[in-house]
Amino acid sequence: MEFKDYYATLGVERAATEDDVRKAYRRLARKYHPDVSKEADAEARMRDLNEAYDVLRDPEKRAAYDGLADRVARGGDPQGDFQPPPGWDQGFEFHRGPGAGPADHADFSEFFSSVFGAAERRGAARHNPRARGEDHHAAIEITLEDALAGAEREISLQSVEPDAEGRFARRTRTLQVKIPPGVHPGQYIRLAGQGMPGSGGEPAGDLYLEVRIAPHPRWRIEGRDLYMNLPVTPTEAALGAQVQVPTPTGGVVEVSVPARARGGMKLRLKERGFPGKPPGHLYLLLEIALPPADSDAAQAAYRQLAQAAPFNPRSHLGV
Amino acid sequence: MHPVSVTTTVVSASASIDAGDLAHACGADIGWIVQLVELGIVEAPAAATPPEQWRFHDTDLQRALDARRLERDFGMALDSAALVLDLRAEVRRLKALLRAHGLHDGR
Repeated sequence: MEFKDYYATLGVERAATEDDVRKAYRRLARKYHPDVSKEADAEARMRDLNEAYDVLRDPEKRAAYDGLADRVARGGDPQGDFQPPPGWDQGFEFHRGPGAGPADHADFSEFFSSVFGAAERRGAARHNPRARGEDHHAAIEITLEDALAGAEREISLQSVEPDAEGRFARRTRTLQVKIPPGVHPGQYIRLAGQGMPGSGGEPAGDLYLEVRIAPHPRWRIEGRDLYMNLPVTPTEAALGAQVQVPTPTGGVVEVSVPARARGGMKLRLKERGFPGKPPGHLYLLLEIALPPADSDAAQAAYRQLAQAAPFNPRSHLGV
Repeated sequence: MHPVSVTTTVVSASASIDAGDLAHACGADIGWIVQLVELGIVEAPAAATPPEQWRFHDTDLQRALDARRLERDFGMALDSAALVLDLRAEVRRLKALLRAHGLHDGR
């Protein structure tokens, strides 16, 4: 496991004030926010920023982290295989009080859960001896095909849990998650009891997985609707045709291209998008594909067409 | 290690969550959810009914979580967060529409 330099992540000095840390975070969060960022790795950077800020914004966590960094520095090269020294965090309890916001830790690094997980658990139990465990949040990316047809996925979660002797140890849990058919981007799959354990006999929190759908080479998603480019020949577009079209659920349907169709025209396959109330549609965007003029016969046919149907596509430009 | 099978539900119109669940998911209390409803960040069916009877869907959960993060990370007031969320939803919709028509640069 790699030792994380949270100061470097936020680009601040070790001596930075709380205000410096906050300003650095806000500036970088605006730069790497996935909605506005032009960087390819914006989402990963944002996760690193959130993790670093979670530690450095909190005076208790920051003090504990600084102490650990000092021990690591004295012990030699912090790079490579870092393991927190046993019992290093005794005496620290990081409680996330009410108002601390959503617990996004499920997405944080192995380093974070190893270092802060146990102390946070102890802090939570002491701060509020009888409380339902916190809900956790993570994202799951699935293919469009799996979203439509449903699937089963294994996901691994890092957590810190007490063993039989009450010692906290990091554990990786593997969960078999059923993804029901028809989930669409931005929906949440709720896994009951898979968040943080409760204290004082109260139930565990839940885990919410936000559904994301990987970009698909063929279909594009807008809300519950799906879009696909459908290439047609000039002949099919001019005269109309029945053409075969694959659907995202794996089937093939026959679609009528109307006569005098134009490029960019939208054909709607009703209710073949994501299910829901109302269900989405599948749109086909017509794209005129020219037959190659790579033989004498094809070139002759193009010339005949030009003679039979004289046509100036630039007349609206006044030339 | 054998994977554990767990019960999954998709938060939706047919499996909605109540105000307590929404607050818990956001690390907040019901009073905070009442503020979200007053500002129109999430939709409660009828503001006249007591918060305990309100039911919320997937878009509400997403908007509430995002509002909470804006508030926490940027120290944003909830009414400004509401505006940011509306603008962001519009940007996302327009980007998706551009992409659907093959006009987006992939960002």
